[in-house]
Amino acid sequence: MIWKIAKKEFLLNLMTFKFAVGAVACIVLTAVFMPILAADYRQRLETYNGNVADNEAEIRNVIVYRNIRHTIYRPPAVLSAFSAGLEKQLAGSAKIELEKVPELSVTQRGGNPYLPILAVFDQSLIFKIIISILALLVAYDMVSGEREQGTLKLVLSGTIARHQVLLGKLIAGLITLSVPVIIIFVVGLVVLLSYPMVALSGSDWIRVGLMLVASLAFTVVMYQFGLLFSSLARRSAISMVLGLFIWIIFAIVIPNASVHLATQFRPLESPEKRDSRVISLKDDLANELGNVKVDSSGSLITSDERDAFGGYYAKRRDIYWLNAEQKLNSLTIPIKLRYADKSLSIEQSNLNSFFAQKDLARMLSFVSPISTYENTMAVLAGTDITSFVDFINQVRAHRNEVVEYIRSKTDNFSSASFFAICSEEESAEFTRLFLQVHQAKDEQAKASAEQALKEWERENPVKAEPLNLQDFPWFKYRPSPAADLRKAMPDLAALLIMNVVLFGMCFAAFARYDVR
Amino acid sequence: MFFQIVRKEILESLLSVRFALSILFTIILFAASTFFFVERYREQSEDYWRRHNENLSGFREQTDQLCNIAFYEQHIYRKPKVLSLCASGAEQRLPGHFTFDGFDIGLPQIVGQSNFTLPRFGDLDWAWIISLVLSFTVFVFAYDCVCGEREKGTLRLILAGATPRATLLLAKYAGLILTLAIPLFLGLFISMIILIASGTESVGFIRWESVVVVVLTSFLYLSIFVFLGIFVSARTSNSSNSMAALLFIWVVLLLLIPSLGRVISDRFYHAATTEEFERAKSQARKSIDDRFYAGAYGSKASGTAPNRDDPDVDPPGRARYTVDETAAINRVVDAQYNRMLAQAEAGRAFIYISPAVVYRRICEVMAGTGIDRSKSLYRQIKRYQQNLREYILSEDQGDLGSLHLLFDDKARVTGWTTISHKSVNFDTVPKFQERDLGLGESLRLAVWDIGVLALFNLVFFAAAFVSFLRYDVR
Repeated sequence: MIWKIAKKEFLLNLMTFKFAVGAVACIVLTAVFMPILAADYRQRLETYNGNVADNEAEIRNVIVYRNIRHTIYRPPAVLSAFSAGLEKQLAGSAKIELEKVPELSVTQRGGNPYLPILAVFDQSLIFKIIISILALLVAYDMVSGEREQGTLKLVLSGTIARHQVLLGKLIAGLITLSVPVIIIFVVGLVVLLSYPMVALSGSDWIRVGLMLVASLAFTVVMYQFGLLFSSLARRSAISMVLGLFIWIIFAIVIPNASVHLATQFRPLESPEKRDSRVISLKDDLANELGNVKVDSSGSLITSDERDAFGGYYAKRRDIYWLNAEQKLNSLTIPIKLRYADKSLSIEQSNLNSFFAQKDLARMLSFVSPISTYENTMAVLAGTDITSFVDFINQVRAHRNEVVEYIRSKTDNFSSASFFAICSEEESAEFTRLFLQVHQAKDEQAKASAEQALKEWERENPVKAEPLNLQDFPWFKYRPSPAADLRKAMPDLAALLIMNVVLFGMCFAAFARYDVR
Repeated sequence: MFFQIVRKEILESLLSVRFALSILFTIILFAASTFFFVERYREQSEDYWRRHNENLSGFREQTDQLCNIAFYEQHIYRKPKVLSLCASGAEQRLPGHFTFDGFDIGLPQIVGQSNFTLPRFGDLDWAWIISLVLSFTVFVFAYDCVCGEREKGTLRLILAGATPRATLLLAKYAGLILTLAIPLFLGLFISMIILIASGTESVGFIRWESVVVVVLTSFLYLSIFVFLGIFVSARTSNSSNSMAALLFIWVVLLLLIPSLGRVISDRFYHAATTEEFERAKSQARKSIDDRFYAGAYGSKASGTAPNRDDPDVDPPGRARYTVDETAAINRVVDAQYNRMLAQAEAGRAFIYISPAVVYRRICEVMAGTGIDRSKSLYRQIKRYQQNLREYILSEDQGDLGSLHLLFDDKARVTGWTTISHKSVNFDTVPKFQERDLGLGESLRLAVWDIGVLALFNLVFFAAAFVSFLRYDVR
């Protein structure tokens, strides 16, 4: 009997004007805007590929180890067309430096600061707005409408139990709303995959599958809200008004108000306070570096050349300077590394106040299924804040590998190859010949010393060769699908629990419904 | 008869659940928005005045030598406005920190720090509540105003009498507008009470004429939705279809279209990235340097000896070179600034077909906030920079020992005394003061937008009128 009711309701729904308008709107919007979103993804992917290629080409031209200061880029998420999340707010690139440990705030997009006045469109907008309204419109007269028509009295006068009627209506709603949801996913994926640069991996397909499950669960939650109001109100007009007001609370008020409340109740650490801590740390660093005394008074000449990433390398130096610089580096770089970690802890405490605000906003918005759904979609699409945190953690691990790599190659930053292309032997010989020229007692001795220096320079030309990076720890971004799925589970579970609770409430309301 | 129908419509609405819900909803939102605003405004004002005074005291210290004034890097911050309660214009997310000296001006920066981990939403201001929530409420009131009466059979009864359809239509319109005026005025009243009771100092400086224009525009805006509601209700035979169609229209006009601006601007407009911008600046610098090395500024322009009478220096040549270099970089900065604005404005122009966007823009203009204010502030700072340079040069005329050459090279300007080292009276030095647009100027800016809203009204009135005249009441 449940199936008969479900079939009847399904067929009735399919033929309604509201269903036709809603379903056609969703499909048309997907068909029109998915190509734009896919093209936008392609553009970002091209920019990313260009940046990575340029960066790799430059790193292969680095002459000395201290100039390994490349930038790591985060690839755009292929499923961002389904849920943009923070992808438009955060660019996802971080520079590898010895003096600084990358942290999350460096991923902020440095582009046009005027663009935030414009809202961002993505596929999940269609779900959270149109499909949710459609679900409410399909459900609002399921019970009260039948009472108004008098058919509910007829149905319940037979042997059919109330829970069977309710289950039939629920199944009918699920099947009816699955039609546009599945069509939107299929159309969206077909359009996305028709672009040559777009490819989905196995884990992406799992994500898409879970997105579909989340979308269906969310749609049924909204449908059950409609069913609940329909079972509470005697007139369908009232159940519709109640449904629409609750929708505007879920869709507009709660997501906005939760952010405003969170910023109000958990204010950020003042930038001045943070800046004063940073300045104090910089002063400490300057003091500690100032305490490092290296005698470089015997230095004779300097000769620097441009290296990759805007750095410089020492081309040909005297042995006094070389030794002084080696000693200086071996003493100061470990200090700088230590202060980089200290600076990170300051940034982390600042970021913690950001996260506390975000967590509060999320907790407050948890009552809205629309917010919960949005979070689930962003996590599954790999565009929420946790995916950027994951990226920056991987970059940090990569920086540590690079630091260790340079440390091992330069004998704890003390070798000449850290900053210069001349060896100690070469410098010693160069210094000896150079001093012969400058300490010559007469013109003849000077000329012969100059001749000897020139000959030596001819025999030992400056060889500025790029570093051999065969065993360099190259960065490879590995999104962690398992971790993302774990992160999405609480929200997904919340949607499922909402369904169970709402069904219980619908059942209680319908069991007590006066059909007269 | 007209007034009788209006009275009936209002009374019917007043007794309905939807009216109770909308009153409750509107009051809560207006009250919450004002509470949030008062707290935020207080913090912003404190920060603003602290930063403003720091900047001014730093500037004062420079007056011991005229030449120092030009090299002092001033920090100008956007002043918080009480009228941002009407329309904040997303100012918290827009750049509002301007850094400049007498020669160049950097790209505007965002003030303070904002939590980038949070999703971005519209600010909870009057414009947001009216454009989104009250427009939605209009549809909740209007969706069954014609087809609902047909379903109940009352429409046939009314039209069977001597009441012309036009009178009925206008009476329904008036009834709906007056019903909506209740939550709107109540919300605004509560908001103003909270604002005045909060003791916010600047309340006394509110330009009430602007508030009146915002309120009148709000009615013009809501009127569009009333006509749209009547039109759709008169095109459908049952109220559930009417509601479905209206909801779809609401979603498209207020949520979908406004969210397409970013996609369009990202896709079709390109503002240089930070790296490209830096490259363009280096290129500009290089092109002037090439001319410098080619001798375009004279053979001694490269001389930097500390004594200006040294035969190897040429202060006028050096000044020409520096001025040209500064101008070339300023051109790049201006171009980047214009491109960034063009990108944002292109996105906004595309979404201009949404009445909500037009309405918000009017509110922003009247409140003196938003991207237009940001543009005006940048323009005013550029003008001030010019005035400051003119002031320095005019003061410098009195010093016969100065070479009267002002260029962006502090070491040379002070070392060679190309600008006087004499002290100046701080009171005579021009200080930057943001000039708000007058009511007339604001209205001139908003007049086209108001015209667009009026046009929307006219179109939907005509549509509602024709549909209702042809409506089959059976």
